[in-house]
Amino acid sequence: MTRKRERLPTSATPDLDRWFAAQGRTPFPFQRTAWAAYADGASGLIHAPTGTGKTLAALLGPMQEALHEAMEEARENPPSKTVSPVHGSAESEPPRLLWLTPLRALARDTVGAISAAAAALNLPWSVELRTGDVSSSVKARQRKRLPTVLVTTPESLCLLLSHADTAARFASLRAVVVDEWHELLGSKRGVQVELGLARLRHLAAGLRTWGLSATIGNLEQALAVLVPGGGRLIAAGTTKKITVSVALPPPERVLPLAGHLGLAQLPQVLTAVDGARTTLLFTNMRSQAEMWFSAIHGARPDWPMALHHGALERALRDAAEDGARTGTLKLVVCTSSLDLGVDFAPVDLVIQIGSPKGIARLAQRAGRSGHQPNGVARLVGVPTHALELLEFVAARRALAAGRIEARTPLRAPLDVLTQHVVTLALGGGFVADELLAEVRSTFAYRDLTEQEWCWCLDFVVSGGPTLTRYPRFQRVQVVDGRHVVTVPEIARLHRLAIGTIVSDQAVSVRLVRGGNLGTVEESFITRLLPQQVFRFAGRALELVRFHDGVAEVRVSKRPANSTPQWMGGTYPLSSFLADEVLALFGELHAGREPDPDLRAIAAMVRAQRERSHLPRPGVLLAERITLGGRSTGDGGHLLCLYPFAGRLAHEGLGALLSWRLTRYQPLSVSVMVNDYGLTLAAPTPLLLDASALRALLSPTGLVDDLLASMNAGELARRRFREVARIAGLLIPDLPGKGRGARQVQASANLFFDVFRAHDPGHLLLAQAEREVLERELEVTRLRTALERLDGWTIDLVDSPRLTPLSFPLWTEFIQSQFSSEPWDARVRRMQAEVLA
Amino acid sequence: MTVRSTATPDPAEHCTVQVAGTTLSLLPERAAYWHTERTLFIADTHWGKTASFRTRGLAVPETIAADLSRLDVCLAQTGAQRLVLLGDCLHDRRGRDAALEATVAAWRARQAAVEVVLVGGNHDRHAGPPPAAWAFATVTQFAAPPFIGAHFPQPATNGYVLAGHLHPVVTIGGRWARPLRAPCFWFGAQVGVLPAFGSFTGGHVITPSAGERVFAIGPGQVVEVRC
Repeated sequence: MTRKRERLPTSATPDLDRWFAAQGRTPFPFQRTAWAAYADGASGLIHAPTGTGKTLAALLGPMQEALHEAMEEARENPPSKTVSPVHGSAESEPPRLLWLTPLRALARDTVGAISAAAAALNLPWSVELRTGDVSSSVKARQRKRLPTVLVTTPESLCLLLSHADTAARFASLRAVVVDEWHELLGSKRGVQVELGLARLRHLAAGLRTWGLSATIGNLEQALAVLVPGGGRLIAAGTTKKITVSVALPPPERVLPLAGHLGLAQLPQVLTAVDGARTTLLFTNMRSQAEMWFSAIHGARPDWPMALHHGALERALRDAAEDGARTGTLKLVVCTSSLDLGVDFAPVDLVIQIGSPKGIARLAQRAGRSGHQPNGVARLVGVPTHALELLEFVAARRALAAGRIEARTPLRAPLDVLTQHVVTLALGGGFVADELLAEVRSTFAYRDLTEQEWCWCLDFVVSGGPTLTRYPRFQRVQVVDGRHVVTVPEIARLHRLAIGTIVSDQAVSVRLVRGGNLGTVEESFITRLLPQQVFRFAGRALELVRFHDGVAEVRVSKRPANSTPQWMGGTYPLSSFLADEVLALFGELHAGREPDPDLRAIAAMVRAQRERSHLPRPGVLLAERITLGGRSTGDGGHLLCLYPFAGRLAHEGLGALLSWRLTRYQPLSVSVMVNDYGLTLAAPTPLLLDASALRALLSPTGLVDDLLASMNAGELARRRFREVARIAGLLIPDLPGKGRGARQVQASANLFFDVFRAHDPGHLLLAQAEREVLERELEVTRLRTALERLDGWTIDLVDSPRLTPLSFPLWTEFIQSQFSSEPWDARVRRMQAEVLA
Repeated sequence: MTVRSTATPDPAEHCTVQVAGTTLSLLPERAAYWHTERTLFIADTHWGKTASFRTRGLAVPETIAADLSRLDVCLAQTGAQRLVLLGDCLHDRRGRDAALEATVAAWRARQAAVEVVLVGGNHDRHAGPPPAAWAFATVTQFAAPPFIGAHFPQPATNGYVLAGHLHPVVTIGGRWARPLRAPCFWFGAQVGVLPAFGSFTGGHVITPSAGERVFAIGPGQVVEVRC
């Protein structure tokens, strides 16, 4: 059901035009299109680069509607008093607009922007923030009286939906805006938003949904996920100009064939930063950010600079963000923690150290610069090895041609559904059949089977499918045909556990004289002894003591000799970018020069062509390399393949190949992978010709063989913690939450073992297994790769020496071996031989 | 830690350890058997913990039937005449109910020939005394020279203490591979700590000192590890 809405005549919006005119601007055509679509009663998705006016495109539709309604109202009942903006008082309008943002840091600025617009347009709207940072007294007030515009996160929305009286107050909502939708799409948080939107559509008839997104490859699908009923896709006509250049080493130096820090390029980086006002320098890993920070700080101690990554204390991150916003900092060294966020007007240069990983990611990072009027986003890529130069060149070319990756939405994660079902049982209860229809109205659960739905209800009502195994279970009860939660203790524990972000166990790092610096992984700290010096938060810190989950440190004058590593770091190269790199190789193979920057790796290309062949589309390059033990001390036989399918898919492929290979030839092989290919290393020759290799690469029986080869049951343990946490089996250990939460602490491992022994058919175990296959081994990508390889010819080359492409794989292999010669010395010597 | 294989097998091929001048067999079912006195020691069964979790909305399957059959296996293999529970038999008052009491009573009826002694632990204090139908002799300390059976692993003047409470777990490997966690037996100069017997019990990673012996429990076997 939709409310009757008239298309507004343009004369009804003098206020909007006046407001724009007062700022010396005119609305962009895409903004007018979005307002008109909103007035039509439509939903949709607006995509544009950051800083091009998406916020106003989504915001002013609802505001224009309110102005129009106020005018109609005034015509019918002439006002007795003047209307003035009221914030949070009893006279402000009931909730009209909900603004969802994935990032708390964005929320505060969004509140400011909406308040300013409401004040300028004389709307009596209250605009408020609700995130985990807001005080509990404000939250309690908001539950009783929602503001006209509520700016919040997906988690806070779920918490509101868990209160029956608050949920009912959403009935007056006209619209929901989901900011940064591309960031949510493809994650469990995105699925949580889909379910939340379905509920809001149920509560508020005629609700319109608008999404804001950066450019991604599957915008039509992004729209279909956000608005399953269909909506408009609106593109900003203007595209912000992005320039990508590559920092090349001086002619007398060659780019190494492998490596990951890239500190050899420090002089070029210093020069680039020198010529800019404020620079954001992105790395791919936190440890790399720590090392680059200390290297630059060592070279330019007078530069005001800051470090920003996810393990640092919020106050330190806030200070870095403030410095970037106000321009007091020359440089911020950061990781993906600054991929999103408020625009930093002074930033006029972005530097990317190491692989760009993907085209969308590079565009996103580049877009953090150039927010000055008519500004250009400027990015300098710093390859740490030769193949990364190809990645930057390939990404630049794809970006110029408008080719960009897709974000694949998730299908039916049962842990998220379980959590949502309990949330709704808590927020006033539901009738099972009605909720099933609502859940199936979402994209993620459109094909949810009857069996999955019943399992989900059984899980929350009786603990599991068999009553006898779960006696005395209570979470959700069925009272008069409605599923409800009646036990206050269960309600409290559930609200504590709402959300889909599962953080790792971490140790706080605190200065002895007071002040938290952030967190590191426990495994790192337990390996350190007191008085050892490590690098963290951009300083050299001496460990004083470690107890009760807190590492006490003091700033040291001695140099640091270790840097913490954080898990979950390696983000694979996108298959899209891998294909672009392969296409570049294809052109080099054909003797063309696709880009003058590639002259910097001419020696590498020539050596690859002479020792072996260049890879190219339509051909699987396979290299059989025999390493003589005499010259190197590393005798052995390598089989290197280059499917260009990304690190994770190669890991799966490596496990599959070595498992299948042992059925041909009994031997022990080690597997090493990178984003381009993989190598199987064995002490004896691998008796494989092209046809045997073809058989090993068959896509038939992929999943069965993969499961058999990897002990997937054990691998599932890795994903189970997240699944169990979201499904509500693990209560997060939050400080100050009282005894109740502590009494039900149990580890995910314990649940995993107990389920495997006592309820092996548990669907959450199956989900964890599915997630291992999908997310950790990228089985879909692997299958696509194998199917593609099926149609390719195999180019099997024998080489007596390492080739430039096999060299980085070999270094990975050597890193895991023992040798008396220092690793880096050996790698330097081998590299000289490869390029000789 | 590295694996050491010096333990001598007992007649039933169990791993054994010499403590306080006598021999204990270490069963992979997480129990220790004292041949001389035909006494089986177990610790920390935490019966009712799963039910307690379930009443708070956490769907843990019931494990007591499997745990009691594991105990039956220990008793049958060893021919023990006495069973000493080293505390934390019941998890809490909330997890106790008629079904649990009946399940244990039925087990007790089939093991009626075995004398059962319960050394009270901190959880037992909150959970209350075991029902009379179980016929458990409740004591604060079980003294049978050279051993003292206690819940808390604190040295005593009158004997070698066998205790529970800690739920000891040892981590093995970890330099190159992912470290493996395993429940373990941990024997010091004056105190030996048994692993928690219950399936749904967490673990506490121990850091043994020089001279202490640690026996890790793997699937179907107990092996000594050196730290």
